[in-house]
Amino acid sequence: MLYNDLTRRHFETAAHAGMLTGPEVRRGAAGSRAQGTWVQFDVRWRPDPPPRALAQVRFLAFGCPHVIAVADWVAQQAVVSAPLAGLPESIAALKDRFAVPTEKVGRLLIIEDAWIAAIAPPY
Amino acid sequence: MKPPAYLDYAATTPVDPRVALRMAGCLTREGTFGNPGSSSHDYGDAAQAAVEAARAEVAAAVGALPADVVWTSGATEANNLALFGIAHYYRSLGRHIVTLRTEHKAVLDPCRELERRGWRVTYLDPGRTGVLDPARLALALQADTVLVSVMHVNNEIGVIQDLAAIAAVCAAHGSVRLHVDGAQSIGKAALDFTRLGLDLLSLSAHKAYGPKGVGALLVSRRRGVQLEALQFGGGQERSLRSGTVPTHQVVGMGAALALAAAEWRDEVPQIARLRDRLWAGLEALGGVLRNGDPAHSVAHLLNVSFADVEGESLLAAVRPFIAVSTGSACASAVQEPSYVLRALGRDERLAESSLRFSLGRFSTEADVDAALFALEGALARLRRIGGAGQP
Repeated sequence: MLYNDLTRRHFETAAHAGMLTGPEVRRGAAGSRAQGTWVQFDVRWRPDPPPRALAQVRFLAFGCPHVIAVADWVAQQAVVSAPLAGLPESIAALKDRFAVPTEKVGRLLIIEDAWIAAIAPPY
Repeated sequence: MKPPAYLDYAATTPVDPRVALRMAGCLTREGTFGNPGSSSHDYGDAAQAAVEAARAEVAAAVGALPADVVWTSGATEANNLALFGIAHYYRSLGRHIVTLRTEHKAVLDPCRELERRGWRVTYLDPGRTGVLDPARLALALQADTVLVSVMHVNNEIGVIQDLAAIAAVCAAHGSVRLHVDGAQSIGKAALDFTRLGLDLLSLSAHKAYGPKGVGALLVSRRRGVQLEALQFGGGQERSLRSGTVPTHQVVGMGAALALAAAEWRDEVPQIARLRDRLWAGLEALGGVLRNGDPAHSVAHLLNVSFADVEGESLLAAVRPFIAVSTGSACASAVQEPSYVLRALGRDERLAESSLRFSLGRFSTEADVDAALFALEGALARLRRIGGAGQP
């Protein structure tokens, strides 16, 4: 299977893979390894008063290169764009950006579920 | 950047330069370029002589008669000709066929088609080792069974079926014909068509350092095997496979099989040493499971499942460094776990996260070490990213 450059780059570097620790860290996960896709996000919020912003995001992902690449990109972008309701981009936009095959769109929904669980209030 | 180390010899092999030289002699005006069917001039006669010499080489490589050899475009066509040809010719005797769940698609798909056309097919489960228990075959045979089709060397896991025992079961049953898919056998395991009492044998050239696009179906004359043809238009190959015989292709196949027959006993120990080096290195990485029965496998093939990694990611991570096959079918964008490994009892995740390493004539220790280096890095990275050990 061939992947586009963005997918390959984020899959190969996965610079934001890892976990965060500390009382201010929130964690969200979705999917299951037994089903083939599992994603976890750890987010650390800035201590500033509202509007809240993310200080740091890390992810773990068991899945195909698209899953790892998109999770890494979300972890990178979230600190910049500080999304408070959902992913930095829609599922459709992520599908296009990473050239994700239609058959794999369900895996993007798992990333979205993990992300929403991580950033859900209370902060 | 260095090209990836090639460890996918079970998919195809490079043409041996000695074979390529023989083939080149059949292509140009100075060579044996004539139509072997043109008996009205010397060019055709020369080509026909080359074709017959190649036929003799193929037959000799597997202990058959030259007259048994029917040229085809490859093992897939040979399998189709065997299955449909036998099924249709002997349909008045019965419409039941027995095969294994772990066969190649080139056998399973024709079986499915025959089922659609009214035949019954029993798909035997070979169990965890992948090696068929002949007693299970004996139980599956019925009064109207006309054909048993088994693969000699499995293309995914490398296990060798006990053809002598299987042939004995078929012989005891009476009129059932035995077809063997020998696409992976040449140069890897002993195979004697006549001594084993086989009725039909499918062969491929490109798995044995010959060219792609040519194979053969051996149809035993001694045993009086009859087939219905699938292709018409010229009556070549005993009217079983019409069409101009491609001289350079069959000469390449003859040369390749002759080389394999002469050299395989020397090659196998060298390849086994490389396979053992590879397996020892993989075992040291941890979380690996060997698929198939090592005691009944060819030296060339090692199929391994990797725990705690996702298969597509593993293949993508090692792809820049080594060329291997995944244990998954990639017909769609989403990989499906190997049906062969599932038939052996591997769970879906392990079946999906398996790699097939296949070694060959040109494999080196450097290739094996490249694979181990790539896998060590990929497994550590993907297991870390995947949170192995996390709940």
